[in-house]
Amino acid sequence: MLEKRILFAATLFALSIAGVIALSVRLFGIDLPTCLTDVRPFSDAKVIEQGPNRYEVHYVAKMWKFEPADLNVETGSTVDIYLSTADVTHGMQIIGTNVNLMAVPGAVNYARVKFDKAGDYLVVCNEYCGIQHHNMAGRIHVGASRPHSADEASAPLAPSSGKDLLEKYGCTACHSLDGTPAPGPTFKGLYGSQRTLADGKTLTVTDDYLRESIEKPDAKIVKGFDPVMPTMTIPADELHAIVEYLETIK
Amino acid sequence: MTRTEIEPGLRRIILIEIVFPMLLLVLGITTGLLQVLYRAGVIRSQSFLGIEYYQGLTLHGAINAIVFTTFFAVAFGHAVIRFYTGKPLLLRWAWPSLILMVVGTLAAAIPMLAGKASVLYTFYPPLKAHPAFYIGLVLLVVGSWVAFFGWIPTYRSWLRENPGKKTPLAVTGIFATFIVWFIATLPVAVEIIFLLIPWSLGMTKTVNVPLARMLFWFFGHPLVYFWLLPAYVMYYTMLPKLAGGKLYSDFAGRFTFMWLVAFSAPIGIHHQYTEPAISTTWKSVHAFFTLLVAIPSLVTAFTLAASMEHGALQRGGEGLFGWWKKLPFLDRERWMFSYLFAGLFIFIFGGITGIINASYNLDTVVHNTAWMPAHFHQTVAGPVFLAYIGGSLLLVSLLSGREIAWKGLNVWIPYIWTLGIMVFSTGLFIGGVAGEPRRTNMGLSYTNPNSPLYQPAWKIAKLVGTLGGIIMFTAMVLFFIVFFATLLRKKTNESVLDLPVSEPLHDEDVPAVQSFRPWLVAAAILLIVAYTAPFLELAKGNYKGAPPYNPGNPVAESR
Repeated sequence: MLEKRILFAATLFALSIAGVIALSVRLFGIDLPTCLTDVRPFSDAKVIEQGPNRYEVHYVAKMWKFEPADLNVETGSTVDIYLSTADVTHGMQIIGTNVNLMAVPGAVNYARVKFDKAGDYLVVCNEYCGIQHHNMAGRIHVGASRPHSADEASAPLAPSSGKDLLEKYGCTACHSLDGTPAPGPTFKGLYGSQRTLADGKTLTVTDDYLRESIEKPDAKIVKGFDPVMPTMTIPADELHAIVEYLETIK
Repeated sequence: MTRTEIEPGLRRIILIEIVFPMLLLVLGITTGLLQVLYRAGVIRSQSFLGIEYYQGLTLHGAINAIVFTTFFAVAFGHAVIRFYTGKPLLLRWAWPSLILMVVGTLAAAIPMLAGKASVLYTFYPPLKAHPAFYIGLVLLVVGSWVAFFGWIPTYRSWLRENPGKKTPLAVTGIFATFIVWFIATLPVAVEIIFLLIPWSLGMTKTVNVPLARMLFWFFGHPLVYFWLLPAYVMYYTMLPKLAGGKLYSDFAGRFTFMWLVAFSAPIGIHHQYTEPAISTTWKSVHAFFTLLVAIPSLVTAFTLAASMEHGALQRGGEGLFGWWKKLPFLDRERWMFSYLFAGLFIFIFGGITGIINASYNLDTVVHNTAWMPAHFHQTVAGPVFLAYIGGSLLLVSLLSGREIAWKGLNVWIPYIWTLGIMVFSTGLFIGGVAGEPRRTNMGLSYTNPNSPLYQPAWKIAKLVGTLGGIIMFTAMVLFFIVFFATLLRKKTNESVLDLPVSEPLHDEDVPAVQSFRPWLVAAAILLIVAYTAPFLELAKGNYKGAPPYNPGNPVAESR
């Protein structure tokens, strides 16, 4: 019976693929992330230099950024990545490597990666995590020597300061504090400045304008930017603290 | 299984079950077109035509993959059971089933349209939708169960009246479809009813996300076989006849249906390869079972090719490959052949990429990249979708007594769709391997030259994908024209149920594939083997629950 032979061939085909996969795991050690029960979820990002070219990085994924947002390591470094989420489910793929991890609330994920090639690696969130998901990304800079920049330190912020609230509400995912171009206008030097709107009108940034732009993001769109900011409900005292803080970023 | 006059009640039920989701499909297809335009940066905005990007993506998935498929499977099931058993169906089951499905769909559609359920059709917690969304899904599923339960007494009485006779292959296929569906929907019902609904209503503060995800994927993979099985029923019972021949092997069909009953569910963890909280031991067991579920698809590919060869030889085809030319590719009267054949062609690629995805460590290269939608569009938007829209047109034409409008155009639609989907998925496959994420409004970041995240290398793949998406959309515009023009024509024929019936060429008597019982036992054992330990691992992990989040706000809802 021809169809019995076909059935046999199909089974053999499936089993041979299973065999090749098993070999790749055994011989080359290419394996999937597994179940870690001894690491509890964390909310503080950390970069620990364990030795020359050896790092342990505690990545925190949150709506809508990775912490650390930028990581610097030397070429040839081996990095142990622990991944935790501060809010919803996220994905973390380091483009150009085999690191592709889900960040699931409650659990910690793990992968080891060795960076043999110098360059800038893009870190992408590849699981839908809310309406700014497309802006959730980070970078890993792999180079000859490791520049010790201050921005990758994860010093905890003073609680309930305006700056802390900008972090809490995810504002800094799209608005930089230092003038870096981002999907939204930078906060640096914003207060008191002249803005041209999409409809050609100009205005001066005041308290009221800031408050309106936070509460009704689509009311006035600055020229050159997209109307993409979500509407959020922020308690009055926190809104006040945010606006006060924005006035200070010169 | 002869031309059957059909009772007005059932006729009305089937027609509603086809026309109602077809109207929604207009929105589902439009949001599909918008997807490719957003992703390529043609539309560079958070929303368009009043629909936010992720809201549109939710509508696209929920309408096309959940609502349209479930309605069609039930409508087609009614038609097959009625036609092949020759017995009137129990309308006291069929009507409540329809009402539950319509009410459920509307209950879920309202929050989606209002932007209160932008959680995508996989609704992963702790992103939270409006409770009506979850309740609507439950009603839709329960409605489909009710239809299935109503067929059981009809089938039982057919068995009593036909002792010793083999169950018609199509009936076996429909029962396999709904057994797989029932097994699949139990865990997701547990997820929705016990975890998500109380949590979305504020009755519980947190939800166990690893547990919810495992329950979801316990459902998520057999779900795709629920989509595929009605298409398989058409392939095995209609395609050979339409090709002018016989089904090469009756045994192959029965083996395929039974094997899928046993193996479609204990493999869900292959969707969770890159997740924490599940050990590699159980990921590899599910990988192994997933490869076993490829066997019936390979058998199907062979059997259908052999059946088409038989058909072509009857029509005067010759040679080892020359017979190919004698198939009725553009036969206006056998137009259903073009829908089924085109889908089968697409499925070759969908099947191969499915084996790649199942291949354990290989998944880390493609998981959650654009590769994934490319793969599942070649399955669910390939063989499944073409069989379903073709089947919808066939049933509407037969039951409403109207000739197909635009017959010459109609026969080309599946080929245009095929061209579109091959171009579309080529773009997404290339982009996916390069790392382009799925489910992402890339026009605002990765394909936006003004964004610091701009990735020029991804742009070409995106443009190819967009071109394919536009061709697919064009095919569907033509289909809607044919479908609604047919529906609005004057009634010229009698309303009858007359499905193409393929005789078997080889009709072996293999008792092992003629009863569901051993395969149901196998399914139960496999499920216990595959899922007991992973659930125990989750229990041991004792993962902290998560509060609900609105997709637009990074701060948890306070309780």
